[in-house]
Amino acid sequence: MPVNFDNAATTFPKPEMVIRAASYAMEKLGGNAGRGGHALAMKSAAEIYSAREVIAGFFDAQPENVVFALNCTHALNMAIQGIMNDGGHMIISSLEHNSVARPAAALASARKASMSIARVYPEDQRTVESFRSLIRSDTKAIVCTLASNVTGQLLPWRDIAALCRERNICFIADGAQACGVTDVKLSDGINILCTAGHKGLYGLAGTGLLISDGKFPIVPIIQGGTGTASSSLAQPMLLPEALESGTLNLSGIMSLKAGVEFVKRIGIEKIYAHENILCRSFMNELKGNEKITFLRQPQASYVPIVSFTIDGIQPETAAAKLSSAGYYLRAGFHCAALAHNYLGTENGTIRFAPSVFSKKSDVSGLCEKIKLIIP
Amino acid sequence: MTVCNVEMPSYTYAVKAEKLLRARGYPCEIKRIDRPGSSTCGFMLSIRGHCREAIGILKNYSVPFTQIIGEEFDNAGKLR
Repeated sequence: MPVNFDNAATTFPKPEMVIRAASYAMEKLGGNAGRGGHALAMKSAAEIYSAREVIAGFFDAQPENVVFALNCTHALNMAIQGIMNDGGHMIISSLEHNSVARPAAALASARKASMSIARVYPEDQRTVESFRSLIRSDTKAIVCTLASNVTGQLLPWRDIAALCRERNICFIADGAQACGVTDVKLSDGINILCTAGHKGLYGLAGTGLLISDGKFPIVPIIQGGTGTASSSLAQPMLLPEALESGTLNLSGIMSLKAGVEFVKRIGIEKIYAHENILCRSFMNELKGNEKITFLRQPQASYVPIVSFTIDGIQPETAAAKLSSAGYYLRAGFHCAALAHNYLGTENGTIRFAPSVFSKKSDVSGLCEKIKLIIP
Repeated sequence: MTVCNVEMPSYTYAVKAEKLLRARGYPCEIKRIDRPGSSTCGFMLSIRGHCREAIGILKNYSVPFTQIIGEEFDNAGKLR
């Protein structure tokens, strides 16, 4: 039976309740939410609102500030372009995924905004100082990941949020690898949280979230039908509809609501503890092999992700061999070129990412296969 | 009994307003508007009784609305 250890890309398998919720939407919720007054449409609209309430409760936000997106990249593009639309300076971290780095770089290369890159260190205080030193009078936003998708390193985001609050800078957080395994609340200082629905929140692929605290207006980058102010040609500015033009992914949203309820039912601390034990077990079983390098530093904290390299074998080759043996891990650059420049991993890494469904016996099985492919 | 109809800017805010008022004991329901104005979503909140207090609660909680249709109010939500 093949085993998925690529849960940082998307969690699989999905919880039974998530599958049931998606099926329920397709079987029973035929109406287009917010697009009509008939019973079918109203039922769909009520379910969507209920999903907003559950998700808002989970992240300590207001339901009307929960925006459903296609994925985390979509949410981040809406946030970055929507906040930087009239120019200014932004700071991103050296560990950013391309979902942050590319929209920021595109704005900079079109001279619509300027950007600086703050180096992330293993020591939290140095990282915070790195951000602080780059703040200018025209800095409008700090955009950074809560945890690196390459190494899993947790950034000192509460301190960065405090820095933003102190200077009235918008803090846009990429929660793709942190949400569902660590406690993330808007009340801890995040102005705009963007995250995937299909990773640690266990929803279907094709779901994402943008959650605002309402302090910084986001100019929509997509215009269209919202089911509101329909006789006007101007895009409405009220959240959430302002950022939700077009028909919503009802099955995906229902699955995401169920996924959040699943995480709440088990508890973030238990999920983190389980996955963290598997990461430790993984490293312990391979410890002492001088050809294996784990990209971890003792001073830093991590979400349950372990990136590693094996001397003498390319990451992609190693992952292909492991795939043939029934173990699925992602290799390469993980869509995060900036991070590899900083880490010095010019050939990329192999990434071990368990989920709540992963088993210790499967970790042991994987480690045995890894030992066999070491040259 | 006085009934006031509050035109809402979005279905999201209509539900938010309905839940807010019902939790405080004000009977209300979401209805479609026959001839919606240009800045509404086609939904209104129909509140039965104590309209003045109910509108006050919406304002206190910063729940936006576009227009109030009722004997006691002008369309800015102020008492006539």
